[in-house]
Amino acid sequence: MTTDWISLPLVGMPLISSIVLLAYVAYVSPAAREKIGPTVRMATLVLSLLMLVLTTAMFFGDNYIEGTLDWASLSFGSFNYEFQYDWIESLGIHWSVGMDALSFPMVWLTTFLLPITIVATWHEKNAAVYFPLVLMMGGALIGVFVALDLFMFYVFWELTLIPMFFLILKWGGYDRKYASQKFFIYTFTASVIMLLGLVTVYFLQPENLAHAGTWTGRTFDIPTLTAHAQSANAGGEWFLGVGLQKVLFVMLMIGFLVKLPSVPFHTWLPDAHVQAPTGGSMLLAGVMLKMGAYGMFRLPLALFPHAAEHFQFWLLALGMVSLVWGAVVCLGQTNLKKMVAYSSVSHMGVILIGIATMQPLGWAAALFMMFAHGIISPMLFAVCGAFKHHYHSMEIGAMRGMAKHSPWLATSMMFGWMASLGLPLLAGFVAELMMFLALWHFIAAEGWSVLWMVGPAFVLAITAAYYLWSMQRTIFEGGEATQPPASLNGQPVPDITDAEKWAMVIMAAFTILFGVMPWIALDMMNGWTVAFFETLLIPILTGGA
Amino acid sequence: MEKIEPFGEGFVLALAPEFVLVIGLFTLMIVPNLGDAKFRIPMTQVRIPWFFGGKRGKLDSDPRLPGLFATVFFSLAFLLTAVSFVNGMNRTQIVSGDNVMLQVDEFSRMFELIFFGALALASAASVNRIPATSRNDRSASGLYNNRRQVDFYVLLMTSGLGMAVVALAQDLFLLFIGLELASFSTYVLVAFMKETKEGTEAGMKYFIVGSVASGVGLYGLSLLYLWSGSLQFSELATAFAENGMESLPLIALGMLLVGFGFKVSAAPFHFAAPDAYAGATAPVAGVLATASKAMGVLGLLRVLLIVASPEATDGAAVWLVALAVLSVVTMTWGNLAALGSTNPKRMLAYSSVAHAGYMMAAIAAIGALNWETDHVDLSNDAALVVVTALIFHLTVLVCFKLGAFLVLSLLESEKGGHTLESLGGLAKRDPFLAVAMFIFMMSLAGVPPLSGFVSKLLVIMGIVKVALLDVTVSNDLALADLHWVWYLALAMVINSAISVFYYLRVGLVMYFHEPEEGREGPLPAGGPVRLAILACLVTTVFFGVGAGQLIALAESAANALVGAW
Repeated sequence: MTTDWISLPLVGMPLISSIVLLAYVAYVSPAAREKIGPTVRMATLVLSLLMLVLTTAMFFGDNYIEGTLDWASLSFGSFNYEFQYDWIESLGIHWSVGMDALSFPMVWLTTFLLPITIVATWHEKNAAVYFPLVLMMGGALIGVFVALDLFMFYVFWELTLIPMFFLILKWGGYDRKYASQKFFIYTFTASVIMLLGLVTVYFLQPENLAHAGTWTGRTFDIPTLTAHAQSANAGGEWFLGVGLQKVLFVMLMIGFLVKLPSVPFHTWLPDAHVQAPTGGSMLLAGVMLKMGAYGMFRLPLALFPHAAEHFQFWLLALGMVSLVWGAVVCLGQTNLKKMVAYSSVSHMGVILIGIATMQPLGWAAALFMMFAHGIISPMLFAVCGAFKHHYHSMEIGAMRGMAKHSPWLATSMMFGWMASLGLPLLAGFVAELMMFLALWHFIAAEGWSVLWMVGPAFVLAITAAYYLWSMQRTIFEGGEATQPPASLNGQPVPDITDAEKWAMVIMAAFTILFGVMPWIALDMMNGWTVAFFETLLIPILTGGA
Repeated sequence: MEKIEPFGEGFVLALAPEFVLVIGLFTLMIVPNLGDAKFRIPMTQVRIPWFFGGKRGKLDSDPRLPGLFATVFFSLAFLLTAVSFVNGMNRTQIVSGDNVMLQVDEFSRMFELIFFGALALASAASVNRIPATSRNDRSASGLYNNRRQVDFYVLLMTSGLGMAVVALAQDLFLLFIGLELASFSTYVLVAFMKETKEGTEAGMKYFIVGSVASGVGLYGLSLLYLWSGSLQFSELATAFAENGMESLPLIALGMLLVGFGFKVSAAPFHFAAPDAYAGATAPVAGVLATASKAMGVLGLLRVLLIVASPEATDGAAVWLVALAVLSVVTMTWGNLAALGSTNPKRMLAYSSVAHAGYMMAAIAAIGALNWETDHVDLSNDAALVVVTALIFHLTVLVCFKLGAFLVLSLLESEKGGHTLESLGGLAKRDPFLAVAMFIFMMSLAGVPPLSGFVSKLLVIMGIVKVALLDVTVSNDLALADLHWVWYLALAMVINSAISVFYYLRVGLVMYFHEPEEGREGPLPAGGPVRLAILACLVTTVFFGVGAGQLIALAESAANALVGAW
């Protein structure tokens, strides 16, 4: 491979161009700022579309980009488009990028959501600042997924906080100050604990592995560390010892569980979502939450499989509680966006359960859930945003009989809700079904009580209940007496704008696409999972059998 | 190592940056006094032009002149110091007989870079700051105001000179003289706004607490002299290694800790700091928080690592537990107090206390090293990492902490900056300042990719490295096998999580709140301040993204210290 397709086109370009745009916008006068808004918006849209074209070409691989390996058959520990530059040599820090089948779907998802977000929030106020921030967010998110160096990973991990902080702060709802602060502090606290764990791992590795620093003799290189941990974990041995591996596993997991988020660390999410602007919510739910799950696969599960097995029960319990609690809380919500936010918590529970089963099927389910939820939940938040935008309220009862007055919004809402509750032939169903099978497998294999299935099964019913109930109260019920909403002051009830229609249609189309033909994404996820289990987990956890 | 007698061959060249300051000092005193005065030779009518006094010229009576002079001389000293790093440092000792007085090496020069850099920025920022009457004002008060300019910068220069002596000193007595020179200058600088109530109060408190701390330190010094008969670092170190466990040197050490503890504003000697910072002008507060603090850390390093060298005792150093406890108390106290302060300068003062805690934690980690013969290499390695981290931290602190104070100094010139609310709407009023302040705050909190993150990471790495030094990886490894200094790193990360609260609050106020009544308009222009802020901003980002060079520089400096024991 001779060309670095990642560093500049996917990470550097969005970051640099957004900073340049912001600097320019800060430079011009406030009056001109209004005027250049549409131009800036168009520029960010074009740039993000270019990124989407590139990642889509990457998906088709070596037909378009020379030397690409097939995503589904990448062996464990090898990456496409891998590139490494020296950064801080003395400490073993490199700018190191690459993608495998774990990160590629997330990168594609980010580039897919960027233009969608821009289109869906086409009329956002203060456009000249808003759209560059969205673009910056995209660059930082991709940076997290492509980083193959712990330092770089952490840098981008934290960098995502800053544009999101400003998105919530400047375009958020009435309580945005509290929400943005809570969001920042929660995730920052978790990640500094993770950082200490990472530094401890750094100094516990033997000296002079590959890519080691000239001064410390240690490396931050993730593939090197993973490969070393793999050999150190083999044969019943625990990498870094039994006690310490558990501690470090927990320290890393705290960082990722808060981001995911899992109960009991989830309380920042509803606040952040309710206050965030539509675009912020779309990226937050669509990609940022997945950073947590992605991080788990990339670091603690690969480095500390023994500890993961040790804490399997607790992970399962956390996932179960998130799943059930998130769903139950949804029932009681009167705020549309809060309900969707809690449903995200519930769906993240699915991911956690999938991981906790320690079954290839469960992991593939988790990976697919990350992807499917990444397409569906932005649609949900786009619907919520449109609802708020047009009816000036987020309360579920504020608008009734929407089907008659705003058919487009009503249809989008219904579609999104159905996709989220797991209607067959839509993307969410595939992931949920796989998770159930994996959990069933696991329970049967371990001889656990069948009661463990009750919670998830029950959640299916609850999910259907809260979604259908909210639909009934917004789309159908009502009649002439209860609408239009009082907040419209007697003006005619509007439907969504053309830009929003486009965004909805595209998201819906892809939800159907990945529901009907899940193998487009599932093949590579499956390939990655199988490679991970065959090369890393099975030899280690079964004692090299 | 080259040895030079005072005023021997090569003396001036070896101490070129310091001599630049001395020249600058005289220039500052002389130039603004030049006039057309003539001197009449007694008993004759012959008048010889004398130049001192009389009617001053247009240029030398300009109130901006002293500030510009000081900036130029500090920058010159900074450049000369930086140049000495190029082509390898020429390590030199200034000796008097057998006694080594000053030593020029990477370590001392690195600290001088910090001092001169901070002072140059502060003096540039002060150019527009002190109430200056127009240069056409020939009244007594006009003259007085103009002279005050000179006083201010003369004091800045003497403090710089004092700090340089501290950096170079190889003799505890000389070190203390430098410390006192710098301290007395800063006492006056803090009280410089004597017309305001806060200024007087701040100066008084700072002076009283500071002189008590100095007195205690000096008493410790005299006890050390009584005990060993010499204040040379090398001789003290030898004496300490032989019988440092006697009670006399330990008492002396404790007293010295008090003296330096005040300088780094470590709890419980930090009480004067918030008042002093709040009462002083912002650039002076910035100097206190960066250069003056670096001087204290330097003193701590010299005393704890060279004199009471950990090598003196097998296993951990005697001061390990004391310093570890103090560090945790300091960082926690600083952060909790900062949470509750609504004056941004007090908040920055408490954040500076917290940072002192982080640095003391790092020094404590060095104390945990084991210096048995077969372990020395390993320990040297680890100590090198920690000292590098400290130097890196102190260097980048100049970028963002001083930068934050400079932003406040612009607010001060419109009588703001004493309440958080006066920052309200800064994003609208002056986007550049708001962005700069936000980046400084994020850097203080340790958000990547800014230099504050790298420095915090390095300190954590240093502590963790020490904690893991004697750990052999085996299947039975547990958390308890790590040295307990690992928990200092844990305390540090928890504390930096707490600190995000108050750093973020500044950002919220700037971007969220409306400007206060009467503050809607744009801020005063202040070219030099803005230039200084820009310099801070660029270095804050640069040393974060491209930390490699500075780490290498800090490492060479740390090598000079660690290699010396």
